[in-house]
Amino acid sequence: MTPKRSIFEAPRIGQMSMATKIVLYSLLLIWSAFVLFPIYWLIITSFKDAADVNQGPFFIPFVDYQPTLHAWKELFVNDYEDTLRAYFNSIVISLSATALSVLIGSMAAYALSRVSYAPNLITILYFIALLALTVLAVTIYQVDWRLASAVAIAMFFFLARAVGNLYQFQLHNGDILFWIISQRILAPIVVVVPIYIMFQSVGLLDTHIAIIITYAVVNMPIVVWLMYDFFNSIPRDLEESAQLDGATMIGTFREIVLPLSRTGLAATTLLVMILSWNEYLLALFLSTSKAQTMPILVAAMNAGERGILWWTMSVAIIVMIIPVVVLAIFLQKYISKGLLVGAVKG
Amino acid sequence: MNEWLDRHMGRLFLAPAVTLILIFSIFPLVASLIMAFTRIRFSAGGFKTRFVGWRNFDKQFFGSEQFHLLGTFTHISILGWVVGLSATAALLWWMWRYIRGPFWWFGFLGRLITLGMALALVWMFAATLLSGNQFGTVGTTLFYVVVGCALQFLIGTALAYACSQSIRGKTAFRVIFFVPMMITPIGIGYIFRMMADTTKGPFANVWQWVGLKDFAWATDPWAARIFITIAESWQWIPFVFIMMLAAFENVSRDLIEAAELDGASPWQRFAEITWPSVMPIAATVMLIRAIEAFKIVDLPNIMTSGGPGIATESVSLQAYYAWRSLDLGSASAIAYILLFITVVICVSFFNLVVLARVRKQQ
Amino acid sequence: MTAPIAETTGTAKSISIRNFNKYYGGFHALKDLSIEVKAGEFLVLLGPSGCGKSTALRMIAGLESISSGALLIGDRDVTEVLPKYRDIAMVFQSYALYPHKTVAENIGFPLKVAKTPAAEMEAAVRAAADQVELGEHLDRFPGQLSGGQRQRVALARAIIRRPSVFLMDEPLSNLDAKLRGNMRAELKHMQGELGITTIYVTHDQIEAMTLAHRVAIMKDGVLQQLGTPKEVYSDPANLFVAGFMGSPPMNFVTGALANEVFTSGSIQFPLLSTPNTASATLGFRPEDCQITAPGTGFLDADVFTVEMTGDQVLVTLRMDGTPLVVKMPKEFEIEAGAKAGITLDPKHLYVFDTDTGARVRRG
Ligand SMILES: Nc1ncnc2c1ncn2[C@@H]1O[C@H](COP(=O)(O)OP(=O)(O)OP(=O)(O)O)[C@@H](O)[C@H]1O
Ligand SMILES: [Mg+2]
Repeated sequence: MTPKRSIFEAPRIGQMSMATKIVLYSLLLIWSAFVLFPIYWLIITSFKDAADVNQGPFFIPFVDYQPTLHAWKELFVNDYEDTLRAYFNSIVISLSATALSVLIGSMAAYALSRVSYAPNLITILYFIALLALTVLAVTIYQVDWRLASAVAIAMFFFLARAVGNLYQFQLHNGDILFWIISQRILAPIVVVVPIYIMFQSVGLLDTHIAIIITYAVVNMPIVVWLMYDFFNSIPRDLEESAQLDGATMIGTFREIVLPLSRTGLAATTLLVMILSWNEYLLALFLSTSKAQTMPILVAAMNAGERGILWWTMSVAIIVMIIPVVVLAIFLQKYISKGLLVGAVKG
Repeated sequence: MNEWLDRHMGRLFLAPAVTLILIFSIFPLVASLIMAFTRIRFSAGGFKTRFVGWRNFDKQFFGSEQFHLLGTFTHISILGWVVGLSATAALLWWMWRYIRGPFWWFGFLGRLITLGMALALVWMFAATLLSGNQFGTVGTTLFYVVVGCALQFLIGTALAYACSQSIRGKTAFRVIFFVPMMITPIGIGYIFRMMADTTKGPFANVWQWVGLKDFAWATDPWAARIFITIAESWQWIPFVFIMMLAAFENVSRDLIEAAELDGASPWQRFAEITWPSVMPIAATVMLIRAIEAFKIVDLPNIMTSGGPGIATESVSLQAYYAWRSLDLGSASAIAYILLFITVVICVSFFNLVVLARVRKQQ
Repeated sequence: MTAPIAETTGTAKSISIRNFNKYYGGFHALKDLSIEVKAGEFLVLLGPSGCGKSTALRMIAGLESISSGALLIGDRDVTEVLPKYRDIAMVFQSYALYPHKTVAENIGFPLKVAKTPAAEMEAAVRAAADQVELGEHLDRFPGQLSGGQRQRVALARAIIRRPSVFLMDEPLSNLDAKLRGNMRAELKHMQGELGITTIYVTHDQIEAMTLAHRVAIMKDGVLQQLGTPKEVYSDPANLFVAGFMGSPPMNFVTGALANEVFTSGSIQFPLLSTPNTASATLGFRPEDCQITAPGTGFLDADVFTVEMTGDQVLVTLRMDGTPLVVKMPKEFEIEAGAKAGITLDPKHLYVFDTDTGARVRRG
């Protein structure tokens, strides 16, 4: 009995064969190079000036070319107003949008994981029909929007119960959860035009608040999805015992659930923060100048008649990356742990 | 007061989220649908709307914008007929098998929609790509979704599997591999434009050496699409990597060891134990990636502005351009077409792949 | 009590564990463990949590490398051999059933990877499943089985292969008392019938006493005693083994031994032919002593609790805070709080050196 041994088989217990090692490490190292090289290039480009870029590729600062702070100065001294405003906008918007999204989203996720709901499908359909009629009336028949919505709201509250009693088809928590999560399937382009018109009609276009709310809603499905699984993984008897001790639902949430879900919250926060910080299309619609965010600023650098100024562009991209990297380093240990609960079970 | 609050806490917790989604997601969705059937003209102090029926869709599918959305249709080549007919036959056979099995109206209708979508897409590709014609934004978007997701999935999974072995420097690799996810897509677009520059980019000498010094990748349709796909993959492989790494590390060591004792080879251990264990998560990760990939807009916009011609334009980008030219009706119609395609494909995938596995084990 | 080691069928192999050491970084988990297991023997590893039982088992299986020492199965040195070439079947404590495979696929997996023809495999799976009475559940997934059924799937997966060695890591620990009793009998029967050398890890003394040909008792990575169940029970090598075996455990009284007299407080007890020991521990089992009237026995103590267990009465007494347990016949009656004396049988006394734990006087 001399079994045929493959070259990938371990020579000893707990060791890897040479072939395995070579394959593994070359895969990992090649990919590291593929990931790091563009970033390296980005960084050295930010210390070049026009000549260094245009005269062909130079790879090593101080050897190939003399690094300068030219581009950094241009962005932070000459154009500092634009840069700092966009930077400030981005910070305010992504922080607030993340806070709002995580707060509201995890409240909903918690409620869905702990309370039983049974909305009637018919009532919901009735609501959507009213909504459609209202929009139709406003857009096509030019009815005043205040009048139309007042009538619609009144009709909903007066008739909801009656309509609901026509036929009972009860939905459950799972349906609500699915409904919320499925909102993520909507490409921003599908909803952004009406949102644009909506904010325009209330005069909120190009303001922080418009972008914050939009980002919060767009990212809410992710929060609900991740946090729902996280809350579900927290044993329920902890809260039940707290409730027996007389704590209210808010009290239990604050005292027991929040501290226990710190990992999930951190990962979710980081993810939502990254998504809001980097978002482009919605900002393109909703901001023109005052509320312009960093991605818009960076994208707009393309427009100069001298072609792309790679060096200033690189600086702008670097300063955009830095806060995320800092944040990620802070939350690093939570990332994989926290994202997992949702993913592994989801 | 406190007691009232506590009793209604369930609703109060859920209400803000539902309200926000109703106002900023459902309402725009409904409004967008209505807008897709109207023509909107801006005038001083507001806008005028007029109901135009299916005309916006008609223009996209059969009218002046057909080449843009679906592609140019002139003839179908032999190859197109062969592939189209054999795919049709396969799809019909799949449907036939379902009909003969346990029948359920809901399942039948769902499969009918899946079948319709699959047939439409197959013939669209047969009449464009396989017949030497240019395909439109739908084809381009599907290219990004299918090729991009496949690439990301293969590489991300391979890296995750490598990283889940007992190797040195695991944490360092993990951190490095995560970095691209933190960079704004706009930044990635520009970084890759720099990388791909054939005269000033870092690989200029390589380009020169292979004789492609004057080649501008942005002017060749396939080169441009592939470059965008590479940039997109660079950005999203970290996501697949992180999720799959977690999945691999979550596979119980006992199972692998038991298989080892039972005499399974390294390959058998992967194929028989590890892979089936991570398969449900893999399917979910793919679904999430596909959903996000259908929305692709920033990279084509930054890297090529949809060019050359419309070669790299995604459906989202087409809708954005329509909006920019103030054709709100078309923009909404295009967006709805995208939504429809996304929903049908993703729901089909979810039902036929993800749920099928779950059902089997319960 | 235990059946003799079965006549081996020729496939059974002996196992030589020679000076096993295991280091986890700086932590010395297993210290010079040496055991010779005879072909066809049923050996039980017993010891408190964290003493290195699982580590030893995993080293035998090849799942953990051997820091130093050697392992022979039969005449073959397998110290460096990969698990799959050792011809070992292991039942994991966690069962390690493949959740995505049916019961039949789980049981048949070892044959599948060995590329056994389908028909042959099916027959073997059926036979193994019948042996553990799982014939009806072949198409279920592990998630649809009860704990006891999963346990039996794990067993069937091990026995389908007729390996030269069985390793079982607390295979019955998660079962209820009744199921545990049934499975214990089943295991004993199966091992006797197949005659396959088996090493079995457990926390449960009854399992150890009833199943084992020999028991190995470990503590902190060190082998304390190796012997038949009867030997380790009635002839413990040291204080640890004496206190570990038996339920309720042995009673201990600490004191000093000089000139063949054991002294503890006011108690004096003559012990012939026993060497002087500055600090000595006197041990006696609950069933080897009797309760008498106060003042007439070896010592006097206060009755603390009286427990009726059905076939006997357990009386717990306290003497200056030291608890002492006496097993009395079920007719025996006494009130808690009363004073009572305890008489001993000098033939069943154990004396240990308190400091080293070594046995000073043979029973
Ligand atoms: N991978 C490891 N790294 C470091 N220490 C370990 C490792 N595995 C086990 N140990 C240590 O080795 C010792 C022996 O562990 P082992 O699992 O063999 O105990 P055990 O006797 O099986 O206990 P139990 O009865 O609780 O299962 C313990 O102190 C444990 O903490
Ligand atoms: Mg153990």
